Amino acid sequence: MDWSPLFSLINGLALAGWVVLLLAPRRWTVLGWAPRWVIPGVIAVIYVALMGAYVADAGGGFGSIAEVRVLFMSDPVLVAGWGHYLAFDLLIGVMLADRLDRVGVTRWLQVPVLLMTFMFGPAGWLLGMATEAAARWRTRGGNTLAA
Amino acid sequence: MTMAASNRSTPGSQAAPVTAVRTLWALTGFSMALLLCFAAAGLLDNRGFQGANVWLKPAKFALSFVVLYATLAWVVERLSAAVSEGRTMKVTLAAMVLATWTEMAYIAGRAGRGLASHFAVGTPLEAMLYALMGVGAVTLVAGIGVIGWLAGRDRHAALGPSLQAGVRLGFMVSALATLVTAGVLSSNGGHFVGMPSSGAAVIPGLGWSAEVGDLRPAHFLALHAMQVLPLLGWWLDRQGRPSTVALRASAATYVVITAAVFGQALMGWPLVRL
Repeated sequence: MDWSPLFSLINGLALAGWVVLLLAPRRWTVLGWAPRWVIPGVIAVIYVALMGAYVADAGGGFGSIAEVRVLFMSDPVLVAGWGHYLAFDLLIGVMLADRLDRVGVTRWLQVPVLLMTFMFGPAGWLLGMATEAAARWRTRGGNTLAA
Repeated sequence: MTMAASNRSTPGSQAAPVTAVRTLWALTGFSMALLLCFAAAGLLDNRGFQGANVWLKPAKFALSFVVLYATLAWVVERLSAAVSEGRTMKVTLAAMVLATWTEMAYIAGRAGRGLASHFAVGTPLEAMLYALMGVGAVTLVAGIGVIGWLAGRDRHAALGPSLQAGVRLGFMVSALATLVTAGVLSSNGGHFVGMPSSGAAVIPGLGWSAEVGDLRPAHFLALHAMQVLPLLGWWLDRQGRPSTVALRASAATYVVITAAVFGQALMGWPLVRL
């Protein structure tokens, strides 16, 4: 069986979620459900189905590089693993966007944080948390020091 | 109830307003995290570029952004809300945010592939990207000038007289002198005036040539007028000897020193010969 169409489907879904997160106005809340619920939900169902059906036959395990390599020799498990990445990165993106909105970080600066999360997961999370922490620093209500 | 409310996916419902001060501190934290990332990459990566680790340059730029935005945040949080939340400030900051991360993405992206970012005009695409980065750099420098101008004329700013003069003059000198030094630097096609021999002495930690003319020290001095002159003003106020005249004289002296260092490099002489 050719797993490429399924791989392309989840790639496309994740990308659509990122586009919403990056560009859509936040007040379009229904569209905001796509990266928050719909896309991770669809990927989760695909993931569960693939793992349920194929992980037992794939062999390998999680305890060593060699075992993980064996596990990912199975295309359906590889697609499931890729879906795991995509869904979780997207959900981290959702969390960062919501947190940065809450502390008043401009969307212009959310773009690089979210792009980094999309491309290099943990690097984006690090950037986002540092950005949030710094935005909170000394600014509770607004300009606290001005006369 | 509060838990449920904070977990509800109604994005934007609890959003804090975007303020200039938050944006500037956010940029400071963002740049700090970038610095950390580049330092970590530099520790593992042993590829070199012109004798230095490939990640040294992105790290230098990230550090420079940390210092820049901490300085701006420190000043802007002392301005009146009318100025810090005014239209000019908003537009200036939006442009600076965009210029900052595109500049960093370009420099880090090129460094990660072991390629030059400045003076890289090998292909039409490279030439276009390098030109665009020039636009970004000018945007950043102009932003410093605009904020200095806004801070200088804010009558309700919580800045002492010398500090306010230091900010106004320091930011303006920074903007103008950087436009000149960096402008010449970028049209020079390289840092050097003259040809350093391979393995020639450099100033430790900074990498500036100690053998031939190097345009970067003047660029460095120009850029940091925006810290030196405000600090001098702050110190004068604190000593109880506020004087805008002293600030003007210091700004003029600073310009002369920067011009001298710049002229020395243009004549092909190193800052110090080692």
